[in-house]
Amino acid sequence: MKPALKFFSSLKLTVVLLTLSLLLIFFGTLDQVEYGIWETQKRYFESFIVVWSCPDFIPNINLSWIHLPLPGGYLLGGLLFINLLAAHATRFKLTWKKSGLFCIHFGLILLLVSELITDIVSEESQMPINEGSDANYSETVLDNELVLIDRSNSDYDSVHAIPVDLLKKGKRLSIPETDLSVQALKYYPNASIARSSGAQALEKPIGNKGLIQRMSLSVTPKPKEYTEDAINTATAYVEIFDANNESLGVWLVSNVIDDRFPPQVVQSGNQSYELALRFKRYYHPFKVELVDFKHDKYPGTDVPYNFSSEVYVKDMDNSIKQKALIYMNHPLRYGGLTFYQASFANEDTTSIFQVVKNPGWLIPYISVLLMGFGMSFQFGMHFLRFLKKERNG
Amino acid sequence: MKKLFYIVIALLATSIVYKHIPQEPIENGFNIQGFAELPVQVGGRIKPLDSVARNTLLILSGRQYVITPKGEKISSIHWFMDLCMRPELADTYRIFKIESPDELGLDGLEEKSKRYYSYNDLQPHFEDIQNLFLNLEPEVKKRTAYERQIAKIYDGLYLYNTTLQSLHPTGDAERLDRLADEYQSYESIIGLGLEAIRAQQNNETYDPKILNSFIAFGDSYLTLSKTSRLRIIPPETVSKELVLSDWKNVGLELLDAMKGESLSPVLKSYAQLTMAYRSNDSVTFNQGIESIQNNFKLQYPKAEKRVQFERWFNDFKPFALSIQLYVFAFLLLVISWLNWTVPLNRSAFWILTLTLILHTFGLLARMYIQGRPPVTNLYSSAVFVGWGAVFLGVFIEKIYKNGVGGAMASLIGFATLIIAHHLAMTGDTLEMMRAVLDSNFWLATHVIIITFGYSAMFLAGALGIAFIFMGLFSKNFTKENARSLANMVYGITCFAALFSLVGTILGGIWADQSWGRFWGWDPKENGALMIVLMGAIVLHARWGAICKERGIMLLAIAGNIITAWSWFGTNLLGVGLHSYGFTDSGFFWMLLFAISQVFMMGLGLLPWKYWMSDYARSRCL
Repeated sequence: MKPALKFFSSLKLTVVLLTLSLLLIFFGTLDQVEYGIWETQKRYFESFIVVWSCPDFIPNINLSWIHLPLPGGYLLGGLLFINLLAAHATRFKLTWKKSGLFCIHFGLILLLVSELITDIVSEESQMPINEGSDANYSETVLDNELVLIDRSNSDYDSVHAIPVDLLKKGKRLSIPETDLSVQALKYYPNASIARSSGAQALEKPIGNKGLIQRMSLSVTPKPKEYTEDAINTATAYVEIFDANNESLGVWLVSNVIDDRFPPQVVQSGNQSYELALRFKRYYHPFKVELVDFKHDKYPGTDVPYNFSSEVYVKDMDNSIKQKALIYMNHPLRYGGLTFYQASFANEDTTSIFQVVKNPGWLIPYISVLLMGFGMSFQFGMHFLRFLKKERNG
Repeated sequence: MKKLFYIVIALLATSIVYKHIPQEPIENGFNIQGFAELPVQVGGRIKPLDSVARNTLLILSGRQYVITPKGEKISSIHWFMDLCMRPELADTYRIFKIESPDELGLDGLEEKSKRYYSYNDLQPHFEDIQNLFLNLEPEVKKRTAYERQIAKIYDGLYLYNTTLQSLHPTGDAERLDRLADEYQSYESIIGLGLEAIRAQQNNETYDPKILNSFIAFGDSYLTLSKTSRLRIIPPETVSKELVLSDWKNVGLELLDAMKGESLSPVLKSYAQLTMAYRSNDSVTFNQGIESIQNNFKLQYPKAEKRVQFERWFNDFKPFALSIQLYVFAFLLLVISWLNWTVPLNRSAFWILTLTLILHTFGLLARMYIQGRPPVTNLYSSAVFVGWGAVFLGVFIEKIYKNGVGGAMASLIGFATLIIAHHLAMTGDTLEMMRAVLDSNFWLATHVIIITFGYSAMFLAGALGIAFIFMGLFSKNFTKENARSLANMVYGITCFAALFSLVGTILGGIWADQSWGRFWGWDPKENGALMIVLMGAIVLHARWGAICKERGIMLLAIAGNIITAWSWFGTNLLGVGLHSYGFTDSGFFWMLLFAISQVFMMGLGLLPWKYWMSDYARSRCL
């Protein structure tokens, strides 16, 4: 056998990789205290390498100089994948006796693959709906987008959206299907916006159109927050150019400048657009109407006894497609999306659904069936053999 | 000789059981047991007053009995009766436990330098305590030990006060002795009082005396409705979903009489109880209890039996008895390693089996009371981890009969029940399930299987420790012993890996059903995955012949740390969807446990020349 193949198929490598995975998960759990689940997940499990640094958890002792580099989830997952394939290519022969092991390993491969698919293609967002009204989009507070909305058509609005990731670089971008282009002069992942008397503001306001034209506002950049419930105030100064590359002005946009404020309007010739930076939205080809939300508590306590939402799924022309009751552990699956009862607000008149799009959601079920069967088979066989041996002396 | 020996062991075991059985106190003909079985709704659950009394006392003083100033030892329900019915007596009982009174900076408290204080001892300091409390760090998790102590005293006094007002309005002897009169005059004045208020608002003539006394009643009962802790008045009609029937506290019941509802007979019976208790009239007292019980039986025929059973279960304390029997079995087995193996071994095995039955009964009883699968919170997981380990241990002992599996299992049974005992200090361990966890199917599958995985991991780890100790110190420990122990650990690790994997996977499916993601890298999920990985490491290391017996044992001990982390450590982080069981001093114990396990591993890594056993000598060659 070639040395490389021998190395990659060895059980020693398996044990080393498993041990490293154990460490990665341990430190990836610890760091959740500092960075929250989402950020940690990206740093540790959706990466190739990560450096853990010790938090200062003992007062007055500086420990932050301690660093530990670790291979990330993609690297370890990939290596384990190769290790497993190599081992099966060289050492294993498919026999009845080993069929359990094959099932376990194949299930594991499927699980790794499905986790990768989930990382790459799944989308999670929230859909808050008030009782008696409906919604055809969900949004995520973890990401933002810059939108230009054309409301000139009476039947529908056209929304031109640009992900903030593109804005961050500060390059000029032409907006598809319009004559306009946009450039972010400044982009802050998190900031606080306050009324200012002008002089004291840390950063001089540079906008000259829209809200900032009418109100004197100051923007103070803040570090991005990662705790579980934190919502970052993404904010930017954007300059809009018309078809002739003439500047139309600079606007201040932010996800806190929302529906509560009058829309900021970009006028280009006869065409006008509403401009906003908002939480990233996902539009769906159907509407969900919340008929009734129920929330009971155990008598005399604040401990929830149940939450449930009665909903209608409707076509855009308002014909009812499906009625459903969404409650704990009983989501609604519709149109490739899954709706979960996640939260509630406004004194129990608003229900908030977690909307998940994960085309690979079935794979883990298959893989766990395989692994569960494989393990039961393998260990069951061991166990029976053991009992037999014991009985015979 | 052998027979005599078995008889001695049986007698010893019987004496442990006998000493544990509570002697029923006969208090001058008062039906205290009946009182203890009276129903009340707390935290959404209908339970006997006995449970409330025990949990309240446990929170205040960390134990379930009170030593009166006269030196009498009284039960928690007796204390509760005194608290509500004879507060002047209860105020002298030393029930407030304060760990380090000298550090509080309250003049006078430190001089007494005791650990238990009465309400009357603390009374001169109320203002100081309140001031200290108001200046505390608002975020509970950031409080120092000193601040937590202050908060505990303040909360304790509040609990004491609200519990005191549970059965009826409280006050001096004059008021308590005439409760029935008070209710009667209140009832008779309601109509006139309401009339007087209306007349006053319409500027008509009214009797100011009636108005004032009506308003005085109203004020008093309004306060009571806010400060009376227990809901002891069942609704007249039981709602369709039994668990959502809203019971009332006495204050609310009295206030609602203004809406034209007549006062509940239960309310009047409690007043009768108190007056009878104060005037030493056991006949009237017992009649009052019977009338409340009959009322309850009519409305909740099923709950009545359950409430009575819970009272009996509280008294029986199967887990406390199991703790003692596990110690007994452990000692017998350890001695059996030294000498006279067979009879000791056999009797220990039977005691262990009987204790397992007792432990099982305790689990089943809790399931009956709660109507849930056995593991619903951290406390019950501790009880179950011990049960699982003993279950496996008895099984191994049956096969190998060498005393090692049994001894380690009884050690884990003992340790986990002690942990459970300490976790119970925070109150009711049979609390209602939050909606998100409310799924008997998943509680019965995912949670049970995961927890059983913990049991297996701990048993494997404990056997690893036994291996290290015997290998180091016991000359008789042979190569064959080592091999059979290694086989045991291997088998149990297979078992642990299977259960952890299946449990984790089921958890993933539950998460997918309720949160929309199969895997969320939540700390508790990660902890479970770490156990699976640990199991996989042990198994692959053995299959690849990377480790021999000793190496496998060291890995099994490392498994203890991983399992403890997954079980307790992840809850200490306070992040994620699963952290439902935060424990305060948990961090310290977690660290101590981890260090102790690392120390064991260090011992295990000592060069062979320091090992005294036969087995080690064979390795040296």
